[in-house]
Amino acid sequence: MDSTGTTNPLFEIVSNVHIVQNYYKLTFNLHGSPIPRPGQFYQIRCSSSTDPLFRRPFSAHSVVGTGDCPAVEILYRIVGNGTKWLRRRRKGELLDILGPFGNGFLIDDGADPVVLVARGVGIASVYMVGEAVRRRDRERRILVLMGARTKERIFYEAECESLGDVFFYTDDGSRGFMGTAPDLLSRLVREKSIPERFSIYACGPARMLKDLARLSGQLNIVGQGALEERMGCGFGACLACACPLKPGEIVRNSQWGKPSLHWSDDGTRVYSLICKDGPVYDLKEVEWDEWTT
Amino acid sequence: MNGQLDTSVRISNLTLKNPVMPASGTFGYAAEFGRFIDLNQLGAIVVKCITLEPRLGSHTHRLAETASGSVCTIGLQNVGVDRFIRKKMPFLRTLKPPLVVNIGANSVGDFVRLASRLNEVEGIAALEINVSCPNVKKGGMQFGTDPQTIHEVVKAVRRETDRTLITKLTPNVADIASIAKAAVMGGTDAICLINAPLAMAIDIETRRSRLGRNMTGGLTGPAIRPIAVRMVWEAARAVDVPIIGVGGITSARDALEFIIAGASAVQIGTYNLVDPTSLIKTIAGIESYMVRRKITTLKDLIGSLEVT
Repeated sequence: MDSTGTTNPLFEIVSNVHIVQNYYKLTFNLHGSPIPRPGQFYQIRCSSSTDPLFRRPFSAHSVVGTGDCPAVEILYRIVGNGTKWLRRRRKGELLDILGPFGNGFLIDDGADPVVLVARGVGIASVYMVGEAVRRRDRERRILVLMGARTKERIFYEAECESLGDVFFYTDDGSRGFMGTAPDLLSRLVREKSIPERFSIYACGPARMLKDLARLSGQLNIVGQGALEERMGCGFGACLACACPLKPGEIVRNSQWGKPSLHWSDDGTRVYSLICKDGPVYDLKEVEWDEWTT
Repeated sequence: MNGQLDTSVRISNLTLKNPVMPASGTFGYAAEFGRFIDLNQLGAIVVKCITLEPRLGSHTHRLAETASGSVCTIGLQNVGVDRFIRKKMPFLRTLKPPLVVNIGANSVGDFVRLASRLNEVEGIAALEINVSCPNVKKGGMQFGTDPQTIHEVVKAVRRETDRTLITKLTPNVADIASIAKAAVMGGTDAICLINAPLAMAIDIETRRSRLGRNMTGGLTGPAIRPIAVRMVWEAARAVDVPIIGVGGITSARDALEFIIAGASAVQIGTYNLVDPTSLIKTIAGIESYMVRRKITTLKDLIGSLEVT
């Protein structure tokens, strides 16, 4: 809130550049706003009219700049009118941004190796986990599973390789492993390419997270996943982003905010809010069957 | 505020310092917006619909954005009246604007129990009856679609409460004037309209509803505004009680359309979710308009539509 309480804070664009294909990177000055944690997101107004109407959520990707002038990077893919509008914004223009919102990834200091799993633009938030791990511990092993529909959709290879060992996968096998990230991970474990114990940090479509959850259950591996979901407000008012959890598996901790869980009368069903209780969840706590129907 | 301007309006026995308030269901329990705006600047506070028992609400995948709007179904997810009183009222009591509590139920009996319970609670200025709820006794038909049913529910709630009574009408009716008259006959102090028109959006790739198993929802946002303005105008001509206009308001310009059509006050709904400061901006914009048009008393503008 500014001094009059009548406008949202505006953030100056430092740069807005095309990376490759239809992927872009936008950097904006934080202007005293809190430094985001990996997994947190911003709600950015991507319109100067009422169509598109709602803000669009973007994961924090990296914090750059130093001292008095930190800036945040987001990665985005052009998917509709909102991101087309965003692509046209230039250095020096101001953006209406709310956030950072949500609980971030919990980075376990004991986790070694760290396995980052992403599909497409999902790399945005897990890359930030990798950066955080690297800052804390230069020795820790990081594996990145990076995939997309086809090889043309794969991007950010060099950046991923700067974090650690990268394994690519595509639906059609045009680059790396043919199949899904959970299948690739399963094979790496089977081939003993990675140790038996590791931690998963994932971001991608619900289907991928659901399959990862099943695999992590079978392997008895801990993992967290960030859901990619459109929201109404992003700050817990509209209740549109309800996500079902498994009543017996809810994982909370001191670093995450107080959950706004909502229970059914008989205690057999419970809804969380992705914007407040997520977007990062422990893979085992989400009721994936309900969520993916 | 400009000292020369009188932006106050009356809703029955309540005086609001300005005509701008949030629409139920888009403002949480008010605290959610405390970090963005000074809640005490609002004309009134309206909290989300409260039911007798807590409700889990609709299945997930509750919102689909459409052209200048959204098809949305939250299904009255709320904490239930007991928890509302215990957990939410202490904060709400600290706020200065009159508090409006929206109430929903699936039977006249439950509406009565809810109103009776809330009538014991200090700090509630008004109840807003949500007659868009399905009436279980009548096969799930909305209370608000039949003049006789709406009359019955309003009359029953009226007997239980001495608070200002607002009835929030559904637009899913053929003749809003007869519905509004029935609510007034039942004893409502004010009419609020419109709630969301029933709507649907389909994903052509999966051939599924974009609201998943929920199938349908209510259309909200700027897309519905012209319908809402028309219905406010029709209702204002039909009844003498104050009207609260709601539907797709994003700015003072939008709000003023409703006021000129006959609304004494307005609610901003969906746009709060886009711009949490929009209520405050709308209040400021109404004042600017009054200065520009040399209007000192907002009440003079209510229902001032020129009909030639």
